[in-house]
Amino acid sequence: MQRRPGKFITSWVDVTKFMLTLVGLAWLVGRGSEQLGYNWHWRKIPGYFFTLAHGHLHAGPLVDGLVVTLEITAFSLVLAALIGLVTALLRLSSSLVGRFLAMFYLETIRNTPLLVQIFFLYFVMAPILDLGRFTAAVLALAFFEGAYASEIFRAGIVSIDRGQWEAAYSLGLSRFASYRHIILPQAVRSVLPPLTSQAISLLKDSALVSTIAVYDLTMQGRAIVAETFLVFEVWFTLAAIYLLLACLLSLLVRLVERRFGSPGQPAWKMP
Amino acid sequence: MNREGQGDDIIIASNLVKTFPGPVRALDDFSVTVRRGEVLVIVGPSGSGKSTFLRCLNGLEEVDSGTIIIDGLPLDDNEKHRLEIRREVGMVFQSFNLFPHLNVLENVSLAQRLVRGKSRARAREFSMELLARVGLADKAASFPAELSGGQQQRVAIARALAMMPRVMLFDEATSALDPEMIGEVLDVMRQLAEDGMTMVVVTHEMGFALEVSDRVLFMEQGRVIEEGAPEQFFNTPARARTRAFLRQIL
Ligand SMILES: Nc1ncnc2c1ncn2[C@@H]1O[C@H](COP(=O)(O)OP(=O)(O)OP(=O)(O)O)[C@@H](O)[C@H]1O
Ligand SMILES: [Mg+2]
Repeated sequence: MQRRPGKFITSWVDVTKFMLTLVGLAWLVGRGSEQLGYNWHWRKIPGYFFTLAHGHLHAGPLVDGLVVTLEITAFSLVLAALIGLVTALLRLSSSLVGRFLAMFYLETIRNTPLLVQIFFLYFVMAPILDLGRFTAAVLALAFFEGAYASEIFRAGIVSIDRGQWEAAYSLGLSRFASYRHIILPQAVRSVLPPLTSQAISLLKDSALVSTIAVYDLTMQGRAIVAETFLVFEVWFTLAAIYLLLACLLSLLVRLVERRFGSPGQPAWKMP
Repeated sequence: MNREGQGDDIIIASNLVKTFPGPVRALDDFSVTVRRGEVLVIVGPSGSGKSTFLRCLNGLEEVDSGTIIIDGLPLDDNEKHRLEIRREVGMVFQSFNLFPHLNVLENVSLAQRLVRGKSRARAREFSMELLARVGLADKAASFPAELSGGQQQRVAIARALAMMPRVMLFDEATSALDPEMIGEVLDVMRQLAEDGMTMVVVTHEMGFALEVSDRVLFMEQGRVIEEGAPEQFFNTPARARTRAFLRQIL
């Protein structure tokens, strides 16, 4: 790879511009809060992450909340991927009932607000099925993101050349075996990047479960604000944490992608 | 190989009709019988239904009417029959259709393990034997994208042979190849014919047809126009339409 001589300079100009913008924003916030007569108490924030008592480090509410958020995201991500895959296969199946079920699910989920779905699951289904709020939260998020994941899977599956199906069939493979050994392993590559953005959406949407009093990161933040009125500090901190998590997530997938190779890259070489 | 009581006709296709929306009659009352060990070459202009016929023979395409019997087994609505026939009929495509995410050895071994239930070791052993037969034993660990077109097509032939099929179908197996690679694939096919494999070959390689085939069939608009032994077919075709076609391509 050849490096253009101007490139280095340009990137520094960009970084400087970015920094200036940040400084400008910080100044705006500072001036605004001053006019409001806001007293900053940043020093109190670390205490909500960790506290030291009797020589032991104890997790504060923000760390507790972070763990819950990660748990909810992880569980519903796995579930959403499963639901998405099954729905995609149903939509592509020859079964009329299967296709109808898939379409019914997709249309229902896509045409109602997530918040309403969460409330519906928590206030209607949870008492009927005797579900806890954590379970209700995970299910609501999984069904919601699963609908979008199924579109991603479907697109990935139909993008595989028809000749692959024909080669598999002509060897006597069943439809199931063809999916499992030929089609899905190839579809994974093109599915991975859009699935990441979906995972990031899931992480962000998980904040909505605070509305049914699941003590995730956002709920903990709300509780601290209610107690201490550290409004600016807490919401700045929360936004930063979500931002950091989302960045980490895309970084992780970038690594996975490198392992599988990215779509459009012809060579299928695996170690 | 010869199964008792099945007679000498391994493919019996009778009165096949296949239409596509349009409407196109891709096969129009098409009948042909292939004897065990015979090499049948099918020629015809583009869109005459050659591929459609091959695809119907192993159930990739469903006929509207007519019957297909392969080695005594009818190809009908019964899903089990369809799967069994696909096991017994190998197919080689113009575009190779190797599995890009599997290496050469895995491409050849996969169906032996999944469909024939062979152990990894036994599948590997037979695959290596087949790869040696098509001259690619040293490429077992390569991925399809690392091979030339001719090499890919030879792997595809080995992959089909791995199922120990009773019939092999070739749909323009050399049409996507650079000229210098056509020979290596035709050599493999010739060897296969000499070993007694029943083959139905759609091709534009008239030299191959003349030299290797037992019979040449000319089709147009889904119908059989003329068929005969290769010397007779090429030297003294009976029908004016056949003569016009041969003039065009020779
Ligand atoms: N899946 C399909 N949908 C609609 N029409 C089709 C389909 N497959 C084939 N046909 C039509 O059926 C006719 C026969 O096609 P077929 O592919 O069998 O011809 P062919 O003899 O193999 O031609 P070529 O030499 O170009 O490969 C053509 O008119 C084609 O357009
Ligand atoms: Mg064709």
